[in-house]
Amino acid sequence: MAADPISQFFADLAAPGHLATFEGDSATLRFDVHDGGQVQHWYVAVTDGDVAVTRQSKAADAVIHVERPTFEAIVTGRMNAQAALLRGVLTCEGSMAALMMFQRCLPGPPGSTGRVPSISSQTVMAQRRPM
Amino acid sequence: MSDQLVQILEGNTFVVSDDRGDIEASRTDPTGLFSFDTRFLSRWVLTVNGQRLTALSTDDLQYFQTRFFLVPGSGTVYVDAKLSIIREREVADGFREKLRALNHENSPVDLVIRVEAASDFADLFEVKDALKKKGKYGNEVVDGSLVLRYQRETYARETWISSTESASVDENGFTFNVTVPAHGEWSTELDVVASDGSPGGEHAGAGARAQDGPIGIRGQGRRVRQDMAHGLEKWLQKVPAVECDWEAVGHIYRRCLTDLAALRFTTLTLPGRALPAAGLPWFMTIFGRDSIFTSLQALPFTSELASTTLLALAERQGTRIDDFRDEDPGRILHEMRYGEMTAFEERPHSPYYGNADATALYVVLLDEYERWTGDTKLVRELEHAARAALNWIDEYADLQGNGYVSYQRRNQKTGLENQCWKDSWDSISYRNGDLPGFPRATCELQGYAYDAKVRGARLARQVWHDTAFADRLEKEAADLKRRFNRDFWVEDGEYFAVAIDADGRKVDSLTSNIGHLLWSGIVDTTKARSIARHLLGPRLFSGWGVRTLAEGEARYNPIGYHVGTVWPFDNSFIAWGLRRYGFKEEAACIVAGIMEAAEVFRGRLPEAFGGYQRNTTRYPVQYPTACSPQAWSTGAPLLLLRAGLGLEPQGDNLIVDPALPLRVGHLQILDLPGRWKKMDAFGRGRVDTDRLTARALGGK
Repeated sequence: MAADPISQFFADLAAPGHLATFEGDSATLRFDVHDGGQVQHWYVAVTDGDVAVTRQSKAADAVIHVERPTFEAIVTGRMNAQAALLRGVLTCEGSMAALMMFQRCLPGPPGSTGRVPSISSQTVMAQRRPM
Repeated sequence: MSDQLVQILEGNTFVVSDDRGDIEASRTDPTGLFSFDTRFLSRWVLTVNGQRLTALSTDDLQYFQTRFFLVPGSGTVYVDAKLSIIREREVADGFREKLRALNHENSPVDLVIRVEAASDFADLFEVKDALKKKGKYGNEVVDGSLVLRYQRETYARETWISSTESASVDENGFTFNVTVPAHGEWSTELDVVASDGSPGGEHAGAGARAQDGPIGIRGQGRRVRQDMAHGLEKWLQKVPAVECDWEAVGHIYRRCLTDLAALRFTTLTLPGRALPAAGLPWFMTIFGRDSIFTSLQALPFTSELASTTLLALAERQGTRIDDFRDEDPGRILHEMRYGEMTAFEERPHSPYYGNADATALYVVLLDEYERWTGDTKLVRELEHAARAALNWIDEYADLQGNGYVSYQRRNQKTGLENQCWKDSWDSISYRNGDLPGFPRATCELQGYAYDAKVRGARLARQVWHDTAFADRLEKEAADLKRRFNRDFWVEDGEYFAVAIDADGRKVDSLTSNIGHLLWSGIVDTTKARSIARHLLGPRLFSGWGVRTLAEGEARYNPIGYHVGTVWPFDNSFIAWGLRRYGFKEEAACIVAGIMEAAEVFRGRLPEAFGGYQRNTTRYPVQYPTACSPQAWSTGAPLLLLRAGLGLEPQGDNLIVDPALPLRVGHLQILDLPGRWKKMDAFGRGRVDTDRLTARALGGK
């Protein structure tokens, strides 16, 4: 059965206990995920790369408000967090720097491979007008 | 509309108007009030008794402040001098405009003063590409303020306009029915504030402002403005003093500093710190490459831009594979944007990573910064970012598996084709004008990668205390240098090919890129003489500077963007490169040519100017581009001063080894900051650059 992608994301995040990309950084974030009339909380504490996740609702450097479908899209790489912020579907109360740090652990889009077939000089020339 | 455009700015907020102070933007021209890549006013028109006004004069008081002296009527023949209107405008989070009407008659006068306002809330990308808006507009009068609104789903932008004097406000503007006494004056202050529509936050992208708690919109605007005048004064006081017999040098220096101050950009995550944005009006944002190059140019004079750039770019360093954004782990961003199209992922700039040079240049800047400042604390803090950048070079940039840094965009729709500084479509070509396929490994990228490894090794050894890593980087650098000098060398021309194409073939045209190779140190000393000869030879050297593409190549065009024009920024790094290999007189020729061009351009160098031979046009011909001031052009004279004086940090000392053009006479820079605290540098112009330049051009 398909797990809840948000619970899954936070479980995967906490599992190694340490993330190299957070080394040198420390911050706390609380995610308030709005789901119907309910709000679910995840509390993330980063201490020089060490990561701990709990379901507490306590004060944090940054408090993120987001609707469940939006956050599901973000944690599965289908929506970009910075774009979501600009759009106003994700809001950050408190430290922007903490959110900026956190977004480094988010996945890229599912279809991204990092590869693309090479293009020949002939193709480039055919696409472009001559001099 | 009048021809002349007037622009003032602060951070990424700027106003472009005509010389009367009016804004009447069409969908595609860059006039208006812009903030965070969005236009907040596209119409701002002043009339008196139904008449438009005529400009008598326009004064740029500061980069963030302009004063317009106006009289009623559009009369080119007759000017009614019985009434003057003065508009004094200052940019803050929006702008404030003091409007004064002066009656010169001996009796009172009744006036109807009208200010019309409207906004299309265009994203800068839409202005560039003339695209249609997808959201809804709505104007409203709220408690005597006029609010212009735009809404697309949850994305909202608002412009709030208010007046200190009472007015009759409607959805299109303000009307003042006033009586001005004999020889008297009437005035009001109009406040225009850009807002993201969220309570407390008042800027696009500034959901972040919530950290400050709910702030009154106007309170925030005032605070920013006070900081500005204070900030400029402090900035100008902190930098070294330059004195020179050639008067233009002092003038150019001050112009550069003021323009750099104007281009300072503060990110939401590093409040109180500034980095250089790339240029006005299109590029008031973080660009990896431009911010790094400008920081390098300015390092001898101020290190603040470099440290902020290093921190801001590390915060946004790539961490994942994202084909839409051309993002990889460790990659340094190319461009960050805050507008509507970025918000809705119709453009990849959140941020976009499509460049192949900024990641290596990031390590170069970090090392150069430490050499000047001795700030090992920051180098330790950024160790992770620097290692990730060095890793990117080997893990993600070697697209062809041939040991060279290459680029090819994965975002085929809105990504950048050429991911080097010459980013226009035809910038990289063979001698016969054919364009190579992709991936492309341009030569300067290999130079930057080499330099990053060498400098990374120094940091690893001296600051991170990781000898094994240092050894590995040095070995890789030596290997890269050996292969590069073999694989890129064009035998029959005795220079380095501009690129290696997807088939391993040399892209064999002669370009200014070879100058960057000297700067990076990748050139074998046995080949350096030949490179210097080309740079100062008749095909590349125009008399003002080095052309981007050599005369005689099929695509050469003296007014082609990257195929023949002279770029001041490019030349400043070429001069530094010539110095690195001991070509002092050649460097002095570039210093002379570009500084003389700067003198003609009254201290503000354009992005590029025509590659016509100097004897042909007598004056440098500005390339028609909308971007001025531009950060790396602004920084060019600073690096040229460094190259001319031969300033080089060596341990805790600053080496000064001048080789300056004759006409410089005596040059001194006082209080150069660095790990040596403060030092003065003196030099006297002894190189007859006029003779050398004439000889270089005569070779034709």
